[in-house]
Amino acid sequence: MSGRDDELIDLIAEEALIDRAKLDPAAKLEDIGLDSVDLVSVVFAIEEKYGIEVAEDAFDRSDTLGTVLSKIDALIDAKGA
Amino acid sequence: MADRLVVTGLGAVSALGLTAEDNWTAARDGRGGVAVHDFDTGPHGTGVRSYPAAMVKGDAVAALEAALGRRIAGSLDPFAIFALKAAHEALGQAGLLGERLGDRAACVMGNGIGGLQTLEKGYERLFGMKAAKVHPLTIPRVMVSAPVSAIAIEFGITGPVFATSSACASAAHAIAQGAALITAGLADIAVVGGSEAMASPGGMRSWEGLQAMSETACRPFSAGRDGMVIGEGGAALVIERESHAAARGATPLAYYVGAGLTSDAFHWTQPSLEGATSAMRRACEAGGLMDGGEVLISAHGTGTPLNDKNEAAAIRGLFGADRHPVIATKSAHGHVIGASPAVQTVIALQALKAGLAPPILGYLEPDEECAGIDLVLGEARPIKATSLLVNAFAFGGLNASLAFRL
Repeated sequence: MSGRDDELIDLIAEEALIDRAKLDPAAKLEDIGLDSVDLVSVVFAIEEKYGIEVAEDAFDRSDTLGTVLSKIDALIDAKGA
Repeated sequence: MADRLVVTGLGAVSALGLTAEDNWTAARDGRGGVAVHDFDTGPHGTGVRSYPAAMVKGDAVAALEAALGRRIAGSLDPFAIFALKAAHEALGQAGLLGERLGDRAACVMGNGIGGLQTLEKGYERLFGMKAAKVHPLTIPRVMVSAPVSAIAIEFGITGPVFATSSACASAAHAIAQGAALITAGLADIAVVGGSEAMASPGGMRSWEGLQAMSETACRPFSAGRDGMVIGEGGAALVIERESHAAARGATPLAYYVGAGLTSDAFHWTQPSLEGATSAMRRACEAGGLMDGGEVLISAHGTGTPLNDKNEAAAIRGLFGADRHPVIATKSAHGHVIGASPAVQTVIALQALKAGLAPPILGYLEPDEECAGIDLVLGEARPIKATSLLVNAFAFGGLNASLAFRL
């Protein structure tokens, strides 16, 4: 996992008030306890921090955290390119 | 005889402390919470201005997180944090933590303006930073009912839950309304009170624009008084049917015995003698407070020239000269706007219990306009009163007086 992923996980833990230890990249968002309201707050915080725009339907609660991280990584990389 | 309404729990957060007891002991000992604070309008504003204000001391978020055993952080606006902390304390004293309160429980809390700090931050982004989005949870954090929803969710209150708003009388209307729900048979128990957190850069500028703020201190009923000092915080009471309290072995702290609710229908900022007098009279008649015994009066006492003159005349006119001890705790905890009546009630009920009236702070010298009322000055004074009258006279001419007895 990259340093940026660590940073993203910190941010998710902070925004969704979820214990960081629960944020296993292999776990699905719904199993982590990340509900749809948490998800919009998390997306907002990520957009703020990295200056990216995430599409409203970019994630599903059945996605794993790892999938979400790689999609966000791709968006941040695309912006930097 | 109809079931009486008993108070079984108190909670408070203000510049005087993070608990009801800390609020009482600070008020009793004359330790006011007012200090000069900087309010910065940020990179898109016109800079920093300093005002005297009564800001919550200590970390209310940390105290709430410790009480609930989980994180809250930025998920609630401060006005909801203060309400939730005070409700938790009040329910703890009432012996009602750790269970879902269910559909025979109600929650009614007042505030004047909602989550202003969240709104200001959102608008700074939108209008100042030209950001495309505000935080997606802006609405649920700002809405005036956020505190009651937070309390209902936390403690499993599934009966009547709503907010009241009547500017500086909001919490008084909430207390009266919560009690009325029980009297009407719609609930057996109610968490009532109010909260406010509008000591923000925009909030302070708005009060400044109204020219209602003091440049130094809140000096209720004093010569040389020059306005209010804005405070922040919240307070809650648990009120229940006496038989309900007795059945579960709860200790009664006091009885809620009535309210007087009136409107001046007159002016946005000027008070009316008739409106204030009739609110007090109705509360006293409902609660049997006109029977001659000493009454502790917790005055609205904002320290503005107009209110204090009008309120002194109303008290003098209703009871006669120098009849009852008058306290004005906004001189200590500031004007907590919609939460003020609840903060004042929580402090004054403890004063009644202790037989000790807390002193009015900031007092300079007598003002002829406020003569003929028995102000408690200097230090806490022993009192004989076993009943309490709490006044709240709000902008827009909305008056509420509450009556309690030991």
